[in-house]
Amino acid sequence: MATRSQTAAVLLAGALALAACGSGGTPQAPAASGSKTLVIDTSFDLKTADPGRTYEPTGLIVGKAVYETLLTFDGADVTKPVPALAESYELSEDGKTLTLKLKQGATFADGAPVTADDVVFSLTRVRDMKGTPSFLLDGVEVAKTDDSTITLTSQAPNPALPFILPNPALGIINSKLAQQHGATTDAQDKAEQYLNSSSAGSGPYQIESFNVSSQVTLKANPKYYGPKPAYERVVIRNVEAATQKLNVSRGDSQIALNLSGDQVTGMPATLQVKKTASANVIFLLANQDSAISGTTPNAKFVEAVRKGVDYAGLLELAGEGSTLAPGVIPSQILGALPADQAPARDLEGAKAALAESGLSNPTVKLEYPSELTVNGLSFQPLAERIQANLKEVGITVDLQPAPVTTALDNYRNGKEEMGLWYWGPDYPDPSDYLVFLPGKTVGLRAGWKEGSNKELEEAGEKAAAAIGDEAREAAYADVQNKLNAEGPFIPLLQPSQNIVTAASVTGLEYHPVWTVDIADLGVK
Amino acid sequence: MSDTPGPPPSGGAGPSSTRKEPPSGSAGPLTTRTSPRRGAHPLARFLVRRVLLAVLMAWGITLVTFVLTNLVPGDPVAANLGQRALGDPAIVAQWRAEHGLDQPLWRQYLLHLQGLLQGDLGTSQQSHRPVSQDLAEFVPATLELAGAAILVSLVLGVAFGVVAALRRDRLSDHALRVLSLIGISVPTFWLALVAFYVFFYRLQLTPGSGRVDAALGLAPAVTGMQTVDALLAGRWDIFSSAVAHLVTPALVLALYTIGLLTRFTRSAVLEVLGQDYVRAARAKGLPGRVVLFRYVLRSALVPIITVAGLAFGSLLSGTVLVEAIFAWPGIGQYAYKSATTLDLPAVMGVGLVVGVVYLVINLVVDVLYGVIDPRVRLQ
Repeated sequence: MATRSQTAAVLLAGALALAACGSGGTPQAPAASGSKTLVIDTSFDLKTADPGRTYEPTGLIVGKAVYETLLTFDGADVTKPVPALAESYELSEDGKTLTLKLKQGATFADGAPVTADDVVFSLTRVRDMKGTPSFLLDGVEVAKTDDSTITLTSQAPNPALPFILPNPALGIINSKLAQQHGATTDAQDKAEQYLNSSSAGSGPYQIESFNVSSQVTLKANPKYYGPKPAYERVVIRNVEAATQKLNVSRGDSQIALNLSGDQVTGMPATLQVKKTASANVIFLLANQDSAISGTTPNAKFVEAVRKGVDYAGLLELAGEGSTLAPGVIPSQILGALPADQAPARDLEGAKAALAESGLSNPTVKLEYPSELTVNGLSFQPLAERIQANLKEVGITVDLQPAPVTTALDNYRNGKEEMGLWYWGPDYPDPSDYLVFLPGKTVGLRAGWKEGSNKELEEAGEKAAAAIGDEAREAAYADVQNKLNAEGPFIPLLQPSQNIVTAASVTGLEYHPVWTVDIADLGVK
Repeated sequence: MSDTPGPPPSGGAGPSSTRKEPPSGSAGPLTTRTSPRRGAHPLARFLVRRVLLAVLMAWGITLVTFVLTNLVPGDPVAANLGQRALGDPAIVAQWRAEHGLDQPLWRQYLLHLQGLLQGDLGTSQQSHRPVSQDLAEFVPATLELAGAAILVSLVLGVAFGVVAALRRDRLSDHALRVLSLIGISVPTFWLALVAFYVFFYRLQLTPGSGRVDAALGLAPAVTGMQTVDALLAGRWDIFSSAVAHLVTPALVLALYTIGLLTRFTRSAVLEVLGQDYVRAARAKGLPGRVVLFRYVLRSALVPIITVAGLAFGSLLSGTVLVEAIFAWPGIGQYAYKSATTLDLPAVMGVGLVVGVVYLVINLVVDVLYGVIDPRVRLQ
């Protein structure tokens, strides 16, 4: 029979095909380190490279590298704004006028000088384009006094403004260049497409290629007037957390930004692991609207939950580097409550409070975004742990996970009986946390209407108008203590931001606003 | 069930018993035998009918994708604006108007259709670019991956199937059947993770994420397929890097279809091997190679092609997971990101592309039937 030779022929063909595929698999030499390319792996949250529309973590990394702002922060210290494009700033005594002196000699990537007109155009554009970051400059008038002086005027005292200006969304763009490509200072603006492919900034890097779902490539700006960055090219890739870990371990990338506490344990000793408490505060909310729930508006019920949560257990779950949140303001920011005020479990107290509430064996629904992770920490195990904690108190928690887009709907419409969410700072200033008060954005989400707590609302107004670091610290501590005593929010913890870098990368600091300042990185 | 595929291969008790010879290698006799009854060329008539049907189906796809994406609970505004911006009704209203979400649903659909006819798929809410432009960037990457995978699976799947059939019940047959069982039953995402871990992390045989080494950069875009673009640019370093990056994801993606094709090919070939005309050909003393390729494989091809067409579809859905794990910038990743941010125009765009690819594949399969098996055209 001929079958034997047929078989041999077919087998050979198959083997050849396999071999052909296999030969492509010869290992590549690792990326040549002489070319100074830095590869950063991160799970993309990116929509645009137009600073005036940027609001997502990955976008802020890019914005920080490509554009410069009037003020910035030194390293990871967000309690003190320092000069950037402005060489000095002064806030008037009433806190309504901020005067900035521009630095001389700053130039855009095309060589044109950065002028006061560019500043006025850029900031007005962000405010009036009505994009996501517009609220940063709500009610702020921008004017040029002379060629090197800018004044920002607000109707109400605005001591937060120096802390807002470092946000990469307020990066200064080359107004002439941008206007040639459709930039305007209203909703008709058409410059986004242009700004997604080229950079009109004065930062140390320029955009080489930009793709919102796969990769962003930056190259050093040859005309940068400041110190040259250490890396010529920077590739930011969209990579799943599990793959990030393998890539950075094998030297395929130098930085992995999104690893969870579990994933960074047992990393090879050749890598540097940086664990820093992030500025994201995870909290529970108990709806105060009696139309939503007959249980959660009961103050004693909230007290029972507050005392019944096993904070130490949650902290352990969140992993090393995480920290408990004594108040809604995270530890990095001016006005944060001291760490020794961190909450602790009081099971007996919780049971007593529940008994006083008059509710017997209450059942509540806890809604949360099931697939959301904050700094690698998933909400699902947190919710399950809270459910178990409260069971011991005598409260039955009915878990209601939903995809984040669906869960957000109920949350922002104030429809959740109980919710598990987080708040990240829009800018590192305590005034950003006044949203938790009655009648404000997050307060309303907990069904907490304006006028529900007059004393607290007055404390909030006082804090908003306080000038000077000491006065502000005291005022915000007061707001948070009152919020903890009477409010519907139970701050839990700040999860750790774990960043893994190759041994060759130096100078990395986790920043609560822009995660990483690429230009600060060095090479060993 | 598992050993007998749906459509009976030629050579059953039916029409082929009236034929003395199996379909011959040349197309000549086929066309004469199926000479036109009503003037028009039968293949042309067949094609026109199929294309018209495909257009109707394409319209159906637009309707289904539109309705389904709009049935999704959750408000795209919440997924696309920051928490603070959501608090400003003016920003929310402006955003809705910009994306046409302030119109009634039926109007949105008509506008969508009108746009489609003009080649406009709408503007993505996440990238703020025309969806067509996004797709033009992502589709080639997926085509490169899926094309490599289908090529590998056709070659290996058919070869394995033939070997298994020829060596029925021997060790190699059993081994290949186990292999195909594994291919069919192992979930793709798991396989992708394990393959990445083993070949890249443990053995360091293959490179890491992406399409080429980050240090090299991409070849100038012409076709959007890195392997082709690198060759066009004469960049051998990029080409070899692109091929090396392609191997693992393509093989992972191919394993399911290899398993499927092996099983179907095996049973189809076994069925044909028992036919009289094969025995007669052997008795005539024709070389084994001729018998195998001209007599056996040709008849066995009909069910194989059916399965291959279906397999291509499963390949496309497999890319979503494989692309995520290998950080492959194709429509799978784009679709996933669009779905999680409720980027409706992008979701509809991807749905339409995948639907049209299915239609084209089915059309090609139908036409191939006609070419391979004249009885299809006779009906």
